[in-house]
Amino acid sequence: MTNKNHAEVAIIGGGIVGCAIAYYVSKAGIDCMLIEKGDLASGTSSRCDGNISIVDKDPGFDSLMSLASQELTAELEKDLNLPFEYRSLGSILVCDNDAEMEVAKQWVNIQNQAGLKFKLLDRTDIRQESPYFADDIPGGLECETDSLINPYLFCYSLIDKAKQYGLKLHTRAEVKLVSKKGDFLIETTKGNFTAKKIVNAAGVWSPFIGKMLDIEIPIKPRKGHIMVGGRQKPIIMRNVMEFGYLMNKFQRERIADSKTLKHGVALVLEPTESQNFLIGSSRQFVGFDARIDYDVVQTMARRALRFFPKLDDFNMIRTYTGFRPWTEDHLPIISEVEEVPGFYIAAGHEGDGISLATITGKLIEEMITEKETTISIEPLRYDRFNKNAVTM
Amino acid sequence: MDKVIICRCEEVDLEEIKETISKYQCSAREIKLRTRAGMGYCGGRTCRPALNAIVAEISGEKLRHEIPLKIQPPIRPVSLGKIGG
Ligand SMILES: Cc1cc2nc3c(=O)[nH]c(=O)nc-3n(C[C@H](O)[C@H](O)[C@H](O)COP(=O)(O)OP(=O)(O)OC[C@H]3O[C@@H](n4cnc5c(N)ncnc54)[C@H](O)[C@@H]3O)c2cc1C
Repeated sequence: MTNKNHAEVAIIGGGIVGCAIAYYVSKAGIDCMLIEKGDLASGTSSRCDGNISIVDKDPGFDSLMSLASQELTAELEKDLNLPFEYRSLGSILVCDNDAEMEVAKQWVNIQNQAGLKFKLLDRTDIRQESPYFADDIPGGLECETDSLINPYLFCYSLIDKAKQYGLKLHTRAEVKLVSKKGDFLIETTKGNFTAKKIVNAAGVWSPFIGKMLDIEIPIKPRKGHIMVGGRQKPIIMRNVMEFGYLMNKFQRERIADSKTLKHGVALVLEPTESQNFLIGSSRQFVGFDARIDYDVVQTMARRALRFFPKLDDFNMIRTYTGFRPWTEDHLPIISEVEEVPGFYIAAGHEGDGISLATITGKLIEEMITEKETTISIEPLRYDRFNKNAVTM
Repeated sequence: MDKVIICRCEEVDLEEIKETISKYQCSAREIKLRTRAGMGYCGGRTCRPALNAIVAEISGEKLRHEIPLKIQPPIRPVSLGKIGG
């Protein structure tokens, strides 16, 4: 008989990252529980887009990690029982002006040299993607392997399967205190649990869990807004983003109006399986203030109209916000914490948590079972933030 | 009775909602995400009270004074051109 209140591994947080970990760890035959303060996917993972993309990643470790995750997600499409609206159609970036188009050409070359499936698109190609595009878009590019999922359905689907492998799920159990005396003792609003190992997958709230063990976790909430457009006519088949916000990766200045720059606004338009569409995006540091900022929404609408002027009479039915778990170097922390053996962190995926959830789950499983990891975990270590301060 | 449409925008009937509640023992919010009831054009303004009542009756989730299913802005659908204008 297994004990309901004890497990080898306890995962804290039932967002996409925690759910992916629960799936891989329980599949490996390890006794495991997941503790979530609300419902499954009640944090950032139900307040975001659903892109599993490489199109915007730096070639190198970033794109390699995303590619590994894309491949795992494609496998899960076959292994999981509940559908999660997986659509593997690639995605595109569009350019605002000729200066961006020049840089886009370089981007495609670099990515192709890295062995990734990128292609430059011209004016005519763009027109064929959607009749709603502005006539003056000079072109863009495509990444063939990108895909879309519904993030909260993916969470439900992972947990459904993990339970078949023996996962113990405790929802509406908020972790209040964690201590370690041999095993970890986890005190929650739904009673106490014990575990040999803990994985902190509480996303933007992971620093609060860290604090319970005197571990400082450098993750901050970076707010984003989304507008939902109601189904009217099909606009486009796959996800579109604008190339503009990659410009700073090339140390080039992005040309846009001051509000667009101030609120970190860049076009994202995602068609959903329900035939609605999601318009984003914004990037702001305003703590945990989840209120809709109308100025930001207005700026996003203007940006969307720049690329899709013919959508002006399409109705917007909802807006919402979410918090990206931001880290300074834009990579997540997927790591054991040396100071507290048995304490793992899997958080800080910023705007890439949907893309990187599966590889994160797999890596944690490999770390716990002491297998060789699918990709190098060096760049993801918790202590990288302190180290830099000392050695540089 | 089970064929009664609860959410007209997304065409979700009572039967689907009842089945989802008994299968997953979930909250009103999770019912919404799993079935799409309340996620359509009207933003749940038509079916939300019915949904909350069904969940309360079947799963005993208490109806709180605060609104169990939140209403997100805008108050009613508005065109992209108006927002951006
Ligand atoms: C607007 C927007 C658009 C985005 N678009 C994309 C995209 O297209 N592609 C992509 O890859 N990424 C995207 N992201 C990023 C992605 O959404 C996040 O990186 C991801 O959802 C983080 O998942 P998580 O599981 O780490 O966190 P969460 O989903 O927030 O999960 C953490 C969970 O921990 C729980 N928790 C917190 N404290 C406690 C406690 N004390 N006890 C128990 N449980 C607790 C919370 O309730 C929550 O459910 C987007 C983000 C935003 C905001």
